Amino acid sequence: MAHVVLKELVKAYGSFKAVNDVSLTVNDGEFVALVGPSGCGKTTTLNLVAGLIPITSGDIVIGDRVVNDLDPKDRDIAMVFQNYALYPQKSVYKNLAFPLQMRKLPRDEIDKKVKEAARVLDMTHLLERKPRELSGGQQQRVALGRALVRDPAVFLMDEPLSNLDAKLRVQMRSEIKRFHQDLKATIIYVTHDQLEAVTMADKMAVMNGGYLQQYDSPAQVFAHPVNMFVASFIGSPAMSLIPLQASTANGNAVLTSAEGWSFELSPRNAQKVARATTRKVVLGARHSTIKLRNSAAPGAIPAKAYTVEPTGDVTFVQAFLSGAIINVSVPPNIAVAPDEQIWLEFDQERMHLFDGETEMALKAN
Amino acid sequence: MSTTAETVPQGLGRRRMRVDGWRWTGRIFLAFMLLYTAVPMIWMLITSIKSGFAAMQFPPQWWPDEPTLASYEKLLDPQNSVGQDFLRFFWNSLFVSTVTTILSVIVAVPAAYAFSRFSFPGRNFLFFAVLLRNMFPAVIFLVPLFILMRLLGLMNTHGSLILTYLTFGLPLAIWLLKGFYDNIPVQLEQAARIDGATRFQAFILIVMPLSTPGIIATAIYSFIGAWNEYIYAYTFLTKNDQLTLPVGIQRFFSENTTDFPGLMAASFMMSVPVVVLFLVLQRYFVRALTEGAVKH
Repeated sequence: MAHVVLKELVKAYGSFKAVNDVSLTVNDGEFVALVGPSGCGKTTTLNLVAGLIPITSGDIVIGDRVVNDLDPKDRDIAMVFQNYALYPQKSVYKNLAFPLQMRKLPRDEIDKKVKEAARVLDMTHLLERKPRELSGGQQQRVALGRALVRDPAVFLMDEPLSNLDAKLRVQMRSEIKRFHQDLKATIIYVTHDQLEAVTMADKMAVMNGGYLQQYDSPAQVFAHPVNMFVASFIGSPAMSLIPLQASTANGNAVLTSAEGWSFELSPRNAQKVARATTRKVVLGARHSTIKLRNSAAPGAIPAKAYTVEPTGDVTFVQAFLSGAIINVSVPPNIAVAPDEQIWLEFDQERMHLFDGETEMALKAN
Repeated sequence: MSTTAETVPQGLGRRRMRVDGWRWTGRIFLAFMLLYTAVPMIWMLITSIKSGFAAMQFPPQWWPDEPTLASYEKLLDPQNSVGQDFLRFFWNSLFVSTVTTILSVIVAVPAAYAFSRFSFPGRNFLFFAVLLRNMFPAVIFLVPLFILMRLLGLMNTHGSLILTYLTFGLPLAIWLLKGFYDNIPVQLEQAARIDGATRFQAFILIVMPLSTPGIIATAIYSFIGAWNEYIYAYTFLTKNDQLTLPVGIQRFFSENTTDFPGLMAASFMMSVPVVVLFLVLQRYFVRALTEGAVKH
């Protein structure tokens, strides 16, 4: 196993930069998820690490080697593709043996390793089959097996679960996590599904528009998003973001909405707002930090319920407030009907504040 | 309500009848096409086993009274002058066609792969330039190529024919193969390269086996094109010992005007290699060879 370092990595297609100045370090044995919406550059980054496309500038270090100009075969990596990319003319056994044959291992050793991998992944009975005779989940397992049979320095995974059905996806998710724990493998995992990233990864790198937005543990990213993009991308349902105007009333900092409602800020939040470049401030609140009331209360803001989605253990209520969609979760025993008048209360301790111009999170100090 | 309830089944019934009608029209059409293609072949075969006299009879003998293999014996007898000529023509055709086929596969495979996988300046222009040749009838190039071959000193050589057939066969071969390579997911090569193969090994070990049906289709196409070509062979070759079969049979025809059985036997023998080629190679035409490679 080895660590991976990306230094000011750039991939440009003409004037378009698909990956823009990305720097991050993946420590030995760490599971890092590259996450972001379609076209954010996460798969391009992975392909750069794999050596499948040439880099424009920057450095890629795997272990202690700069691998910028090395062929994929010389980088000591294994990759699981989104569409599995199994060799259709070869049996499962030969698919698993191929990377070992290419490295000219003796035949009996190949046989031992292939059988060991097949045993670990519980597919010994499938070894003689061709990929087309396997189910989607089995194909996925073979793809995983072909990666782990060789004991590479780094595992690269490009949305390996996105072609599986929901149930299998959850099952394979925990299997890959288990596999990481057992092997202490260095894994770089690309996904557009923030839930996969949050549940599996030690660290997640949130990307957007070719830029690395934030690189931290899922808990940190969730609790302290650096900007509005990360705040809205991580967490489901998405964080509610409400554009407001900062002002002062009777010596206290106040946030006012276009609709006229306002609330007074705590001293700590007032400190944050004071650092904003303009008067425009965006309030961010996760669904679980907003309190929903059926009757008016001091500090609670009137709104109208729009949709009500019971999921069993929690009910999600969507409401409109100052042109923004507000997601609130309530216990299932609280009855809310669509179009009903509700009151929302924001938790000053757990709310996020963003600069309305730069979209960056506002910090107290 | 009641009107719809009544009209719906009626409409369905009428539609079913119309579908049946089309199906039968299709079958009759196919049967007619089968007759259209098979009858001349059968007649060729029947005539080839008649005696010279029986072949000229009218009304014709639908089945020869005295079937004979004399024409075939004559053609395949190296002692006989007709047989010598025929076997030489046959060998010439086989040589020209085989070399054309091998060369066109050797050139078309990498060319098609490059067109399919790499983006390089002038790629589209080159690709359509390759196809441009096929927009003109072959005869247009007869005189220019004749002059060119004379300049190159290739007149009366098989090389002139091989070169000509390549210029005609390659564009379509490249085009055909590019389609095959386009359908092979690029991730397979990427996986192979990560698994330790060089780009060339990935091509040889993974892509080539998957494009076998395409390569075989291309080879058959090139072979048949070269095997049947007449006008260029007729123009470029004048020496009797160099002629290919289509031209050779033509001579055979004019020198032995009345020998229809001989002509038909020669024609039949000429079609044998093509049929054999198809029979031997058809098992490689496995449909959906890449099935199971990637999940869509």
